[in-house]
Amino acid sequence: MKTKLFTLILVACLLLAACGGAATSPAPASATQAPTQPGAGAAPAVEINYMMFGAPEELEVWQKVVDDFHAANPNIKVKVDVSDWDSYWTKLNTLVAGGNPPDAFAMDAPLFLDWQSRGALLNLKPYIDQTPGFLDGFYPQTLKAYELPDGYYGLPRDFQTIVVFYNKEMFDAAGVPYPSPDWTYDDLRQIAKKMTLDKDGDGKIDQYGFYADLWDMELFWSEAIWAFGGEIVSTDHTKTLIGEPNARKAWELIDSMLKDGSIPSPATAGEYGEDLFQSKVAAMAPIGHWAVPGYVGAGIKMGVAPMPVGPSGRATSVNSAGFVVSKDSKNPEAAWEFIKFALSEAGQKRLAELGFALPVLQAVANSPSYLQQSGELDQKLFLDALEYAHMKPVFRGYEEWASVVGDGLAPVWDGAAELNPTLDEVVPQADEILAQNQ
Amino acid sequence: MDYGLRPLGRERLWLWGLLFPTLIGLAFGTIGSLLATLLLSFFSWDLIAPPRWAGLANYIALVENDAYLKAFTNTITFTALYVPGVVIFSLLVAVLLNRKIRGVSLFRTVYFLPTVTSAVATALVWNMFYGKDTGLLNFTLESLGLAPVCWLCRENAMMSVVIVNVWGAIGEGMIIFLAGLTAIPREYYEAATVDGASNLQQFFKITLPLITPSIFFQTLISAINAFQAYDYIYMLTRRGQGDSTVPVAVFSIYRNAFNFFKMGAASAQAIQLALLVALFMGLLFIFERRYVVYE
Repeated sequence: MKTKLFTLILVACLLLAACGGAATSPAPASATQAPTQPGAGAAPAVEINYMMFGAPEELEVWQKVVDDFHAANPNIKVKVDVSDWDSYWTKLNTLVAGGNPPDAFAMDAPLFLDWQSRGALLNLKPYIDQTPGFLDGFYPQTLKAYELPDGYYGLPRDFQTIVVFYNKEMFDAAGVPYPSPDWTYDDLRQIAKKMTLDKDGDGKIDQYGFYADLWDMELFWSEAIWAFGGEIVSTDHTKTLIGEPNARKAWELIDSMLKDGSIPSPATAGEYGEDLFQSKVAAMAPIGHWAVPGYVGAGIKMGVAPMPVGPSGRATSVNSAGFVVSKDSKNPEAAWEFIKFALSEAGQKRLAELGFALPVLQAVANSPSYLQQSGELDQKLFLDALEYAHMKPVFRGYEEWASVVGDGLAPVWDGAAELNPTLDEVVPQADEILAQNQ
Repeated sequence: MDYGLRPLGRERLWLWGLLFPTLIGLAFGTIGSLLATLLLSFFSWDLIAPPRWAGLANYIALVENDAYLKAFTNTITFTALYVPGVVIFSLLVAVLLNRKIRGVSLFRTVYFLPTVTSAVATALVWNMFYGKDTGLLNFTLESLGLAPVCWLCRENAMMSVVIVNVWGAIGEGMIIFLAGLTAIPREYYEAATVDGASNLQQFFKITLPLITPSIFFQTLISAINAFQAYDYIYMLTRRGQGDSTVPVAVFSIYRNAFNFFKMGAASAQAIQLALLVALFMGLLFIFERRYVVYE
């Protein structure tokens, strides 16, 4: 009997462990700390935490920004913490839920409302008002994502527009002319097909014409829908419009490109790692400036073209990363000082030299710091894209909505389901998420 | 029969003293978070705003949530394939390695290695094996003149994932079974050999009945692991936007809690999963009474 009892106890323990996994203490963030603000000047040194997502290289550059800031503000100490995209959000959630959020942290514009509507963010309006004209130098398109009727609960830090990168060596080898600046979606389709090759003749494609990440709408499908005259969601965020007739024309184009192999299916793409353009398996890819350092590092000889023209004109997507301040920050003044510095010309110049993103200050974007980076890319093309850019949609429940759409359409992209019936199924599911988030 | 050693006098003090840290952890960590999960499942909480009472809404929503039902079904299918797989293969390996052969400890180590290797790292290697156009398995199949298989496509992903999980669990099961096998007295086999029983007869008439406690234990452990399986599965089937081609219950719990900010819904799912595991364990113990032989 002893053995049996032992087994029972062991099993009970494992069972408990099984259930404990997903549990988190429900203690709500007690927001009762009195905001002890340091008196200007004579105050003892305060320390603030700034958390951001990004590559390790970015930490180095941010450290330079911080060093410059320390030189100008000796009584504020900034601690920068960089995590990769996935761990960043997990870490941030845990810190915020535990009532210990970083003073300032990075935000992705589409997720902004999810955080703002939960009351996690500080309205920056009083601080912005202290510095008249502070927002004048910004690209207005980048400010819009953080603007609410009662002020700004965040400010853009840098932004991204999507353009088409092409591998010059692959085009030269195939004897195909580079995409012209006035190309259309029909041209894209033709060129992508011409650049899709089975070089060793074993019946398998080993060079894809066009690599488009379909999971994130920002990279290709939102642009295509806009260019065909469609929309993503209604302006009041109650209806999903990706199944409307014009949007369907864009989906049909994507579907036909997947079917003839000029866009690799997500399953195929997964085999080659994250980015087929970087691994020199795809000849073209729509992507933003954040990819440039990686591509330069991979030694790709490349050029950029604007997004193609569709029946309703040309469209691209603009999205920004931003700064937000936690509502529970004990040192909002110090956090603001740091943000103000990072958004000044000096701070933005440092970030422009990093080469991952576009500066939000027009003066810096049009200065040599941004325009003369290594690589022979037409840097101005990224800025000019703002003229025909749509803002990446920002609405509550964005993440769940995007996963319903992505999970729902994935079988189509894999060639396991038909486009139209799937869209008919996905749209009501997506609408339900929007309804839950009103 | 009572094999247990009883603590005497001062030893009793030491006993509780040494158990104390573990018990504290169990009380506040495990049981505490279990109760917290139970409580949270009746609330609607987004991690930031204070929790709001939701009654049974989170549980009712489970039935209507297609994504969760799919994940739940996947977990059951996975368990149904995984548990017999682990028990059979680890028993097989244990029987093969319970003999006096050259390099037996090397073999045992090799089979045990996956257990002590990072699941994330090995899953990445399996990804390379499973690739459709570039994978090692298909390369082998094609050089043998066979048609390539899309291992991680929708239709095959479950099977491929079960294979990796079973492979990763053989080592642990092997240890349990080896312990059970070495405990069987040699005389039984000697007597059976004298009576002219074949190896196969010996296995089914002596070995199998005498290791039923190990089989029972291994089935329990494997079932609990199966309901909680996550790491290999996610690494092999993850896709963009945090999606997975084989979403399982734990995946759904994680995604609802930390990607969609729905702690209440996630807790309700966790509680339901726990109840299912408990129910399954109950059934196993009924079986135990009938079929397990304790010497």
